[in-house]
Amino acid sequence: MKRVELELVNRLGLHARAASKLVQAASGFDSRIWLAHGDKRVNAKSIMGVLLLAAPCGRELTLEVDGPDEDEAARTIAKLVADRFGEDE
Amino acid sequence: MSLTLTGIGVTSGIALGRVHRLTPGELTLPEYHLDADAVEAETERMRQAVQRGDRFLSGVLERVGGSGNETARELLEAHRLILQDPMLIEAARERIRDQQINAEWALALQGESLQEEFRRLDDEYLALRREDLEQVVSLIQRELAEQPSALFSTQVPHRLDDTILVAAELAPADLTILSQRRVAGLITEHGGPWSHSAILARSLEIPMVLGVHHALELLEEGELVVLDGHYGAVLVRPDENLQRHYSDKQAASLRHRNELKRYLAQPSRTHDGRSFHLFGNAELPIEFENCLEAGVTGIGLMRTEYLFLDDQIPDEDAQYRAYCNALRAMAGRPVTIRTLDAGGDKLPDALALTRGPNPALGLRGLRLSLSVTDLFREQLRAILRASVEGPVRILLPMLTTTAEIAQARQLIAECREELRAEGLTIDPELPVGGMIETPAAALDVQAMARELDFLSIGTNDLIQYVLAIDRQDELVSYLYDPTHPGLLELLARTVEAGRHQGIEVTVCGELAGDERAARMLLGLGVTHFSMPPAQVAGVKKSLIEAGYEHCREIVERYRKDRRGTDDLLEALRHSGNGR
Repeated sequence: MKRVELELVNRLGLHARAASKLVQAASGFDSRIWLAHGDKRVNAKSIMGVLLLAAPCGRELTLEVDGPDEDEAARTIAKLVADRFGEDE
Repeated sequence: MSLTLTGIGVTSGIALGRVHRLTPGELTLPEYHLDADAVEAETERMRQAVQRGDRFLSGVLERVGGSGNETARELLEAHRLILQDPMLIEAARERIRDQQINAEWALALQGESLQEEFRRLDDEYLALRREDLEQVVSLIQRELAEQPSALFSTQVPHRLDDTILVAAELAPADLTILSQRRVAGLITEHGGPWSHSAILARSLEIPMVLGVHHALELLEEGELVVLDGHYGAVLVRPDENLQRHYSDKQAASLRHRNELKRYLAQPSRTHDGRSFHLFGNAELPIEFENCLEAGVTGIGLMRTEYLFLDDQIPDEDAQYRAYCNALRAMAGRPVTIRTLDAGGDKLPDALALTRGPNPALGLRGLRLSLSVTDLFREQLRAILRASVEGPVRILLPMLTTTAEIAQARQLIAECREELRAEGLTIDPELPVGGMIETPAAALDVQAMARELDFLSIGTNDLIQYVLAIDRQDELVSYLYDPTHPGLLELLARTVEAGRHQGIEVTVCGELAGDERAARMLLGLGVTHFSMPPAQVAGVKKSLIEAGYEHCREIVERYRKDRRGTDDLLEALRHSGNGR
């Protein structure tokens, strides 16, 4: 099980486009992946879950990955977040 | 004791018949408990429906893919993610197992519970996602029904003679089915007088009253009603006197229609010698027949949206066949085919995912076609291929800039080249016209006229955009005023630009088919009118009996300082020969 603290640095946080990209990326891995904020924890492969979590969260999230490809999954998702999901600003 | 309900009359017709209530919600969404041994099969049924839904979405995505339309692609991608979402799908599957209920019901319950979570967040942005969720849930439910397009037609009885159908709302596609089953009249709870269903009801000559609030609650199955389309009234349980009164009225209106038909054989000239041309608006085979009977010069507007109204986007061959049939039916008379004018209130389900925050101002008409060029090319190729069957003109809807014309013309030229390379001969001079229906196009109409072979004024949309009212919205439809000076200004400019450039200007909106408004257009210099076949005789009579010079004077005076009349249409009504 890997645990990574994430900071959302893009302007809109985990809304719409970013959430889609995150879910798409997460769905590509076999590991089970969660995003957590406060006492809420959602399946990162669920667009509904990510959106429901994103609304109350500020800019800090915890990523939890558990499974055969957990290292690569954690790295990929952390990079996506750090790269502002490919957004310009 | 009789009761009167009021709404908005769409057609002037009268219908007498018995009520049949259509409540599609209950029928399309069955809810039932399962036997324990049926649970596995039910989860499998849902898995397959999800899979078909996904195939449908990826099919649409594929078509959108090459065109570089990012927004549409992202929306579709988001819908695919929702379609695979474990919080929706897995959870619904669990509900099937735990609660032993059918898939539609489980999905509805799970969708509602997610909606509830979103609602609690009170985030404006997420309200939009709720809409997406709703759309995906209904997409799967449609797939669960397996024959989404057949659904409506199976719910409706096969014979509807003497039946007044009552529904919450009716889509244009539903209306064509109802018309084939010879429904006597229609009542809906919602909808505006300029909605496409209303327009279609007029062209199919089905008496219709819409906006009758709570009609489904107030009207009982099988009770006798009189529907008066002229006054927008529904008279429930009429007594014998009232019944007789309306039967007489119905007979009189039939006589009047037969009288009007005498005008069809006369030359199209005003009594002071101005020639005019009457074209038909048609899309269904029955309308082409009626157009021929009315002796029209050709088809001024063949809409193609009906081809896209089902859940499937028609391929090139299916479109080709439809256009060929139209051309053959018109036997050598020109047919003006308008390319897909989706958007606003007439978005085909298959393209519904491109819906933006404000459909009336969004990706619609030619804009949509230019953003989904693969789809547009198929339509253009189908039209070009059909042109060997008879004279065709291409009409581009919803122009805003001349750049759009150049883009469309470029695509037409490319398709023509492709077809030539495939060994087909296509008329190289096939005229390309454009619809003037945005204020921007009307204000820049001289430049537009230089790039086009003919102009067509779509008065429904133009009025809507000039007056900034939604024709579907019952709350503002009272502002609908076809004699607004701002509108007359734009109409006059367009007619003038056509004259200056030496190209034809046709009016193909509702106004052209209105006996009094047609005189107003005549006064503005319009000589080409296109309308549903049922309206040709009345308009022809009105124009034959009108004095062109007199109409022109009245309109000019009104435009200048509104002198001489408060009510332009009323003044024009009395400007005829025998006044």
